[in-house]
Amino acid sequence: MEMDAATELMPESKLKAHEVSVFYGEKQALFDVSLNINDKSVTSFIGPSGCGKSTFLRCFNRMNDVIPSCRVQGQIIMDEVNLNSPKVDPVLLRARVGMVFQKPNPFPKTVYENVAYGPRIHGLAANRQEMDFIVEDSLKKAGLWKEVSDRLNDQATGLSGGQQQRLCIARAIAVGPDVLLMDEPCSALDPIATSIIEELISDLQNRFTILIVTHSMQQAARVSKKTAYFHLGKLIEYGDTKEIFTRPQNEQTEAYISGKIG
Amino acid sequence: MNDHHEIVSSSAGVAGLYNAPTSVRMAHIAAGLKKRRAASKRLRIYGIAAICTAVGFLCILLTTIISNGYTAFQQTEIAVTIDVPADEIVDANGAIDVEKSRNYNWDGLVKRSFRKAFPEVTGMLEQRSLGELLSANAGYDLRLQIEAAGVVPTGAVTYWVKSSDDVDMLMKGRMDRSIDEKKRRINDAQLVWFDSIVADDAIRLAFNSTFFNAADSREPESAGVLGAIVGSALALIVTVVLALPLAVMAAVYLEYFAPPGRLTDFIEVNVNNLAAVPSIVFGLLGLAVFLGFFGMPRSAPLVGGMVLALMTLPTIIIATRASIRAVPTSIRDAALGLGASPMQTALDHILPLAAPGILTGTIIGIAQALGETAPLIMIGMVAFIVDVPASFTDPATALPVQIYIWSDSAERAFYERSSLAIMVLLLFLISMNLAAVMLRRKFEKKW
Repeated sequence: MEMDAATELMPESKLKAHEVSVFYGEKQALFDVSLNINDKSVTSFIGPSGCGKSTFLRCFNRMNDVIPSCRVQGQIIMDEVNLNSPKVDPVLLRARVGMVFQKPNPFPKTVYENVAYGPRIHGLAANRQEMDFIVEDSLKKAGLWKEVSDRLNDQATGLSGGQQQRLCIARAIAVGPDVLLMDEPCSALDPIATSIIEELISDLQNRFTILIVTHSMQQAARVSKKTAYFHLGKLIEYGDTKEIFTRPQNEQTEAYISGKIG
Repeated sequence: MNDHHEIVSSSAGVAGLYNAPTSVRMAHIAAGLKKRRAASKRLRIYGIAAICTAVGFLCILLTTIISNGYTAFQQTEIAVTIDVPADEIVDANGAIDVEKSRNYNWDGLVKRSFRKAFPEVTGMLEQRSLGELLSANAGYDLRLQIEAAGVVPTGAVTYWVKSSDDVDMLMKGRMDRSIDEKKRRINDAQLVWFDSIVADDAIRLAFNSTFFNAADSREPESAGVLGAIVGSALALIVTVVLALPLAVMAAVYLEYFAPPGRLTDFIEVNVNNLAAVPSIVFGLLGLAVFLGFFGMPRSAPLVGGMVLALMTLPTIIIATRASIRAVPTSIRDAALGLGASPMQTALDHILPLAAPGILTGTIIGIAQALGETAPLIMIGMVAFIVDVPASFTDPATALPVQIYIWSDSAERAFYERSSLAIMVLLLFLISMNLAAVMLRRKFEKKW
């Protein structure tokens, strides 16, 4: 992957996690994770199942709030605001931090309505023309416009899996977020759809700060600039993706990326 | 790892068949196979037998109801030649004067005209006995016929007037002529007259329209189910209007907003318990609270609907919660992830997707309420009401209650009418359940 000289010299942190711990009832799922996420770049979280990487990802848009027994400690700072503070309205936060889920989950509505829903609830479009523009622009950014421009009024559930996932990305983009969270976005897709999404992620990193959870180490190596390796709820190693995959500092990381565990 | 499953020994002696040659093992399995097949065949036979029994009983029930009730579709009418005295009921312009018509003695006219066909009957008791062949409401029916026609014909015209319910039963073959006269509701003289009327072809079975456009009456031939149907409909409208929004809101709150804890658990348990409370208890509650405390009108569909709403509430809550839970969490995540508030998520996505289930639950709850008698009896909807209710506060009765009242009546003719009313009720129930199935098919979305 091409390295941007400026960012490499002066990495600017978009998000700073400080001693984040997550509990499900009595059980602790995440232990004091601290890391900085670079702006306008892709950061991937890898690790075996149940290592807490998805849980950590969901801290960035407070999706853990939905789970009644879940408790999050520590701080996540974005633009000098602690996202984990009770003063932060999750509705506002989620307009800035979009999310794409593991399984493509379009609403059972038309393609147009799927993309328009976010801008509509936030009142981002004053009229139909503006909404049309937002929908078209978002679909273009998600690389889906050419395929669906003539069937915007078809049911979104009729699209293929890969198209549905790109529609979900367009839907998240339409709200105009700074950060995109992707929770194993390709795990339900075939290799071709996966490579299209990966290309899309590479394109999108110029506009968004992207955090991606993935099971595929190849994917992490292909798309991300930095990689964090989690194991049993702890952050084991965090660094440049190249470094992690070629010269891991930690034995556990090395064992995982060489396929010995996980 | 294997702490709990330590293998004691792997020698052939201990492991038995496990270590035996394949052929021996297969022979053993094959030997047992026959037994297993027999067992599953037996189970299948038991299942078929159970279904046959259930279907058989259902058939017996339906056959009984239909064979008892189908004759109520028709009503016996007797031809009577009547010369209506026009000057008694028309005004100066020749149009029928309703006031005059109402005061005119139609009963006397019908009976007098009828007696003319039997000049040999002269004794007063005999004449009265003859008059009993006609419906007690024959005069009223004639008046309605004439007023509906709008003109008073000149000269003698033959009108078909309803027979009494006893003649009706005799005509339909539901009365045994051979039993002792004292035990018969029609005496020997009446039988002779009846036979002569039949011989003259002055009697017929006509479609019983009264049954479908009148309310209750003391005379079976004048009784209808329309009052009860309207009463039921009014009560059910109140039920839906009250129960549906309350139940859906309660279900959404319990599913999405209720903080987990003892209070929520307590409410949940009690919602489920309420669904099992005997309906008469709801009737008592309605009697004590709505009638006793709030002083609402007795026998009114409004109160009936409120009581039925209480009864239906838990059914709809449970159905709504189940269908909300059936909406994939991925949809909820998608909406929340976009920054939709919990209320927007519920209204824009969850409820539309849960709507088929909510509708089905509601219709089933309403169908249950339609068939409910006990709570309505407690709040006085068991009254004898001869008018079709026109508003929510008019005294009314309901279909199942009407069936209950008729089945309790002495007249044989009410027996067939209650069977027909049961058919009407079943028709409503079946069509409601059909509607539930069709709505679900129509609105169900795949994802």
